Amino acid sequence: MEATVVVVEPGRKPQHPADAGGGLHAARHGAHGHSAHARTAHSMSSSSLRKKSDASLLRKVPFAPLRPVLANLQEVFLGTKLAVLFPAVPLAIAAQCAHFGQVWVFALSLLGLIPLAERVSFLTEQIALYTGPTVGGLLNATCGNATELIIALFALMQGKIEVVKCSLLGSVLSNLLLVLGTSLFCGGIVNLRADQPYDRKQSDVSTGLLILGVLCQSLPLMLRYAVGAGEHAVAAATTGLELSRACSIVMLLAYVAYLFFQLKTHSQLFDPQEAEGDGEAEEEPVLGLASGLFWLAFMTVLIAILSEYVVGTIEPTSQSWGLSVSFISIILLPIVGNAAEHAGAIIFALKNKLDITLGVALGSATQISMFVVPLSVIVAWIAGIEMDLDFKLLETVSLFVAVIVTAFTLQDGTSHYLKGIILLLCYIVIGACFFVTRQPSSHANNNGAKLAGPTSTWNAQVA
Amino acid sequence: MDSAATLLDSGAGTKEMAPRHLGRTAHNMSSSSLRKKSDVALLRKVPCAALRHLLANLQEVLLATKLVLLFPAVILALAARIFHFGQEWVFVLSLIGLIPLAERLSFLTEQVAFYTGPTVGGLLNATFGNVTEVIIALFALHEGKVVVVKCSLLGSILSNMLLVLGTSLFFGGLANLGTEQPYDRMQVDVSTGLLILGVLCHSLPLMLRYAVSSGEHAVVSWDAGLELSRACSVVMLLAYVAYLFFQLKTHHQLFEPQEVEDDGDDLISQDEVVLGFSSAMIWLGVMTLMTAVLSEFVVTTIEAASKSWELSVSFISIILIPIVGNAAEHAGAVIFALKNKLDITLGVSLGSATQISMFVVPLSVLVGWIMGVPMDLDFNLIETGSLLLAILVTTFTLQDGSSHYLKGLLLLFCYVVMAVCFFVLRRRGNGNSDGVHQGVASNTWKI
Repeated sequence: MEATVVVVEPGRKPQHPADAGGGLHAARHGAHGHSAHARTAHSMSSSSLRKKSDASLLRKVPFAPLRPVLANLQEVFLGTKLAVLFPAVPLAIAAQCAHFGQVWVFALSLLGLIPLAERVSFLTEQIALYTGPTVGGLLNATCGNATELIIALFALMQGKIEVVKCSLLGSVLSNLLLVLGTSLFCGGIVNLRADQPYDRKQSDVSTGLLILGVLCQSLPLMLRYAVGAGEHAVAAATTGLELSRACSIVMLLAYVAYLFFQLKTHSQLFDPQEAEGDGEAEEEPVLGLASGLFWLAFMTVLIAILSEYVVGTIEPTSQSWGLSVSFISIILLPIVGNAAEHAGAIIFALKNKLDITLGVALGSATQISMFVVPLSVIVAWIAGIEMDLDFKLLETVSLFVAVIVTAFTLQDGTSHYLKGIILLLCYIVIGACFFVTRQPSSHANNNGAKLAGPTSTWNAQVA
Repeated sequence: MDSAATLLDSGAGTKEMAPRHLGRTAHNMSSSSLRKKSDVALLRKVPCAALRHLLANLQEVLLATKLVLLFPAVILALAARIFHFGQEWVFVLSLIGLIPLAERLSFLTEQVAFYTGPTVGGLLNATFGNVTEVIIALFALHEGKVVVVKCSLLGSILSNMLLVLGTSLFFGGLANLGTEQPYDRMQVDVSTGLLILGVLCHSLPLMLRYAVSSGEHAVVSWDAGLELSRACSVVMLLAYVAYLFFQLKTHHQLFEPQEVEDDGDDLISQDEVVLGFSSAMIWLGVMTLMTAVLSEFVVTTIEAASKSWELSVSFISIILIPIVGNAAEHAGAVIFALKNKLDITLGVSLGSATQISMFVVPLSVLVGWIMGVPMDLDFNLIETGSLLLAILVTTFTLQDGSSHYLKGLLLLFCYVVMAVCFFVLRRRGNGNSDGVHQGVASNTWKI
């Protein structure tokens, strides 16, 4: 029956798989037409983890007013396969209050973030059904990576610039190489005989933006090295910071143009692939708008709390596990933060719907690189914190190579499992590199806070 | 009338016209959008026949362009120099005066090409297409200002690839919002391949310097980087010669400009000879001489302008001079993009970038060798890194064969970001050694 929702089709009552092509178009441009556009690849991927609530249980509840409340709760909390991880949330809060080992707080908070991220995506999608396609698209574009954004903001406020930079970089790398790699690999293995096409245009736009992002990050880095080697002089020691802030504004402008392009003028390039039906239900909101907003705020507060625990306990964890803070921020945090999207992307690749996989992976990477990163720089500017775009040599070059590898891999419009293996192996190699690095020994106990010093060795030839 | 009719005849007609069309590269066609047909009526009133010829000649050469308004700047620049006005004024007026001169040189080259046939015409275009940049570079070399040479040539490449192409694709995309914007990939692929070879030749001396100073390698003499640069320059010139052979002899069908439908504009009917061969050669000589004079003014007044405007010499050389020097080509490229004729736009911008990167740069190194000036291919880290990323962005953007406005916007943003980076660099603290001594300070060689 309707036990598992794998893919949701825009509101069509009769289920005729043969009708899928024409009927879908009619539905898209018909009464429910507006709602179809709000379903970006992002929300479709998370939807693969949802389950239809079991309405029958509720009918047994005698007390009538209680029933809608319980239905609401059931939809929000139990409508996902990740519901088993939900207990980690109260456990993490309990661990922090009862002063268990900080390592436990860290691990439990990370686990708790997984279902919360998925629920936020679900709630964003529900709200988007009320607000129409454009605002829905904008909501997805800003809240799609809410977890990364919140972690970055908390780390900024605690002055841990390294954690911010590393976690954002790790998110981009994880989306480009890990998520995409595993998806293409699994999809390729399962569809060994079939052709695996996808639409190049969407990936070309994303990779173009990613290269602009890498350029904006390379310039402050090259500036620092050039000044250090005596090739150029700068007017002040904060020149790199000023350059980073100017570049961040340009990156945000580029992101706005990308949104305009994606949602207004060329939206036909970004429509998710036709989702043939094998047992879907209709796409109707299951929560009221007010209740959706309420739960969204509630979940966001929970995410904020857990993120604060994560950021606060990262140093003790790194010391107790013998790993550097940068390794934990670049590799572990993003794997956890992206887990729901990751699962969704793989599921769609297994079904040979690579456009959605690419939309999720590349779209997230673009969003983090061109929206969250410059936003962090601007927020830091407002808060008086010195965050710049100089992510240091190893990180920037890894990012550059990751973008190039992904761009080359995706440029021909079809996929096979070897492409996935190559991306995965790139990720493993980069992970190994960060595994073997440790923080510079002069700041032995300051894995997070004070690293602004040695990383920016400005021989300020102030003239 | 003849030419228009034969163009519309897409069969045997074009085959006969083909040799003549080979002389019209995309470069010429783009500048031709700035021409206007001379008004013959005025001249009939002049009584003396010989005077009439002379005036017709003058009118064709000096007035047949929409840029004629800028011509007075040439005279003003000369006046400013002779009467010792402020040096910044000389600088600005010389720059402005260079714009119409560059356009006229392109026109004259095309006229000469009619007489010499397609191959020599193509070669003429290939060498004279960026004559302004060549002359500025040679003068700067002569004065020993190696930094100005490097920065102006780098800035030309960046400006062609990112600014000209970006604005063209952006405006073309906005103007043609509903339609497909295809272009031919083959031409693009050849140019980007050469550009990547160029960047490799720039990177090797740079990496050599960094590797030596961090102790990874040792070199036999101080001049190792210079010798490497000179050898790479010879290779780059060989590659350019091969590219010309490819473009003009064996694969010229890849490079023919798109058929320009005759929709009433008189661009195609300009495909006529309006000047005699000797008269064209004379005017070519005159214009080149004037370009040389103004270029000398530019090169000698650049430090004064940089001090009085509080901008670094590298910013002026990388950003300001190329924008001005390329202005005519830029306008032409945008106009053709608005008409959705992207092959011509790409031919102009990528073709210019390739020409500067693979011809003018190595030529400067070799001329410097002959003059005894230590010019090498090491353009410093930020400049080389920016060049590499610019080529990558352009290559990825152009690789799928159709365009939209976001591509143009991306290229433009890349250019803006690089301009900001060069803007925040200052080069004070070394006194007046912005030009002459920079060769030493920037090449910290430890043997």
